[in-house]
Amino acid sequence: MNPGSATTSAPAPPSLREAIAAMSDTVERLSELSRAKYANPYTAVDWPEAVDPEASWLFAPELSTLYGTPYWDGLDDAGRHRLAFAEASNFFSLNIHGEKSLMEGLAARLYRPDLIEIADYLHHFLDEENKHSVYFGGFCQRYAKIYRSRHVAFGARPDRRVDDLLFFAKVLIFEEHADRYNVLQSKDDRLHPLARFINGAHHADESRHLVFNRAIVQAFWDAYSPGWDDAKLTEIRAYLGQFFATTWHEYYNPDVYADAGLANSWQVAEDAWNAREQRAHRRRISTKCLRFFTASGILPEGPADVF
Amino acid sequence: MSSDLSSALCSAASAGLIELRTWIAAKARDLPPEGLTDDLPLLAGRHLTSLHLPELILLLERLRREAIDVDGLQAGDFQDIRTIAARFLPVAAPSGNGATQ
Repeated sequence: MNPGSATTSAPAPPSLREAIAAMSDTVERLSELSRAKYANPYTAVDWPEAVDPEASWLFAPELSTLYGTPYWDGLDDAGRHRLAFAEASNFFSLNIHGEKSLMEGLAARLYRPDLIEIADYLHHFLDEENKHSVYFGGFCQRYAKIYRSRHVAFGARPDRRVDDLLFFAKVLIFEEHADRYNVLQSKDDRLHPLARFINGAHHADESRHLVFNRAIVQAFWDAYSPGWDDAKLTEIRAYLGQFFATTWHEYYNPDVYADAGLANSWQVAEDAWNAREQRAHRRRISTKCLRFFTASGILPEGPADVF
Repeated sequence: MSSDLSSALCSAASAGLIELRTWIAAKARDLPPEGLTDDLPLLAGRHLTSLHLPELILLLERLRREAIDVDGLQAGDFQDIRTIAARFLPVAAPSGNGATQ
């Protein structure tokens, strides 16, 4: 372009430093809140001696992955309670696995020179994720088990800018979904008080994490995406679309169905995943998250094979 | 083994291989002009990523009706369709080139 031209042009994208500086007030406020709400997970909860899976709801029935399917209709009341108990253990387990990866990624970015402005908050984020895992692990180890993860990671992504965006975008997706479950279950009077407490304690911190996640993903996107070509953008969008599928599939765990006494548990998982009611459920839970991704321009639309 | 049972197993294995190919064809990105073949390098060619593997492992567990020990997996186990079938669906391993499109 002719520098002397009077024509208008799009403003230059912000540098990462500028994009992060723009969120500094938010980060400072979040750090103050984290300090004010600092909790001790070893004194915050009185663990009961035992929980009776058939006497109490540990997971809201409407959030069960079999709710609305013929499998749910075929269970008696005790069977539904046992399934809900296993689903609670799976929900806490997938949070443990997710938070392990999250803590690794946060620790790797702590005091990185280009992210120094958010180092204080990364300390709180790490601390709070570790505390959540104390709750989740405490439940699973005392009363149930930790369900295995099917995640495997081979190789590293060579482009650090893409890696940064995708890391926090994945955290955002994972935490937005889990938080919807937390919010609904922390207010559900039918649930055992321990289940309500763990969901409520998680939500109390996650509400801050969600604000941070959206701000940092937006900062990376604003700073980096103008420099990416169509092929790179397509690759990033495909990856995030697949992450929606991957993270949702973890909720439909055949090991849970086997523990609940259902035969051919892999087919149960496949049928539940494809059930119309469950597709609608996933869309409802993902709505806020999808709205962020489409409004920011990161995703043009939600992944069709998930909803 | 009776011929009826042997035939049924072969049929199930063949159906499993078809489902595996169909799943990968639906998920793989940037396939070459010749399409998906059984020896196309899936991870090295960036047609699939590690992020696809949890879903693929679920599919393989369902097809073989047996859990897979995730801790023992290596990237080479998912090199291509032929390797995946041989590693996880032994009776379904393809013998030809296996072009699917």
